[in-house]
Amino acid sequence: MNLKVAILCSDTLSALGLKTLLKDHFSLDASIISHEQHQLLTDMAMSSDFDFFIVDENTLIQNLNFFLPCRNKVILASSSKKIESDHSLNTITTIDSAESIVSALGKILKSSQQPTQKSNALSSREIEVLKLVAAGKLNKEIASELNISINTVLTHRKNMTAKLGIKSTSGLSFYAIMNGFIKP
Amino acid sequence: MLPIISPNTKLSQIIIDDPTIITVLNRFGISLGVGDTTIEQVCADKHMNVAFFTTILNTFRDPNFFPEKILNSFQAHFIIDYLNKTNQSYLQFQLPNIERHFNLLISKSDAQNSNLLIIMKFFTEVKTELMRRIDDDKKRWFPEILALESEHGSTHESPVTQFDEGHDTIEDKINDLVSMFVIHLSGDYDVNLGQAVLLALDSLKKDISQNNRIRQRILMPLYQALASK
Repeated sequence: MNLKVAILCSDTLSALGLKTLLKDHFSLDASIISHEQHQLLTDMAMSSDFDFFIVDENTLIQNLNFFLPCRNKVILASSSKKIESDHSLNTITTIDSAESIVSALGKILKSSQQPTQKSNALSSREIEVLKLVAAGKLNKEIASELNISINTVLTHRKNMTAKLGIKSTSGLSFYAIMNGFIKP
Repeated sequence: MLPIISPNTKLSQIIIDDPTIITVLNRFGISLGVGDTTIEQVCADKHMNVAFFTTILNTFRDPNFFPEKILNSFQAHFIIDYLNKTNQSYLQFQLPNIERHFNLLISKSDAQNSNLLIIMKFFTEVKTELMRRIDDDKKRWFPEILALESEHGSTHESPVTQFDEGHDTIEDKINDLVSMFVIHLSGDYDVNLGQAVLLALDSLKKDISQNNRIRQRILMPLYQALASK
């Protein structure tokens, strides 16, 4: 896994424990950002420097303005199980066993990584063509809409099939739904 | 590459070489526990045409094996009888088998894994299309060919023309389903059941592919030849 993870926990031992678990089980070298460095969060550029922020409740509440816009990158390290279902944030429970924490982290890191890999597999132009194919447009309609020749549309479709292993219009439509390019 | 099946080949060797061929043997009333029987012996026991039986088995095993002249020499009702049994096998065994494993896969996997539900929806679409084709075979196409054959007698010199459906075929869609499992499956799921669905889909894919070769290269030209008389 090639992800950049920042740990922002006021409890030093929790932060060090999480760093160790990430290193041992996912070969990730996470950065611990100490409480004194939290003012760095005012620098919004930091949100693009990391793929995930593991934060405790206090840090999250104190820095809501920073974390809310990038909430899909937040993993809440909760010390209590009861608030897990109260919000839609990815959550791990620090009082769980090490196995449970590793399992929860694995699910979050894996599920968040895959759509990015897949969407990168297609070029932006291929994604445009894919969306129109999924909308039921014929090749000549796609050509007209994107101001390209029908041969170029055919080339894009051929390349998409080579990259995805999917040829039929139905298959491409379901792929587009799976990857969030269109709504079901 | 597997050796060509001949009348002297043992049934046990054919199944050991490629266990998926058992679905084809089932259509000729043969199931596991074949003992030491050869093709020739089983054909004599079951009053089957040896040339037709070996041709179907060889065509199934090797996509490049396609002796059109031999297949063209068979009467249409031989081919239709086999294709009818194939259709029944899809309806009674293969489609329910995929569906059963797929439902189990969904129930035993992470409820948040929406990808599985989307792929299941795609499978349901393919299944509906296949069932529609089977219904059309049964009610319209096969009876029409049989009626034409009994009217004109058998034909031995039917012209072989390329039959292109001109749109996405069922074969294309099953290939896509297999690709979705092999390349695009993500999230948490039951690994064993995921593989079971893949193997069941792959078995259907292989079967449909062989079935389509017979439909398009043999039965369609045969039908066109009979209809033009």
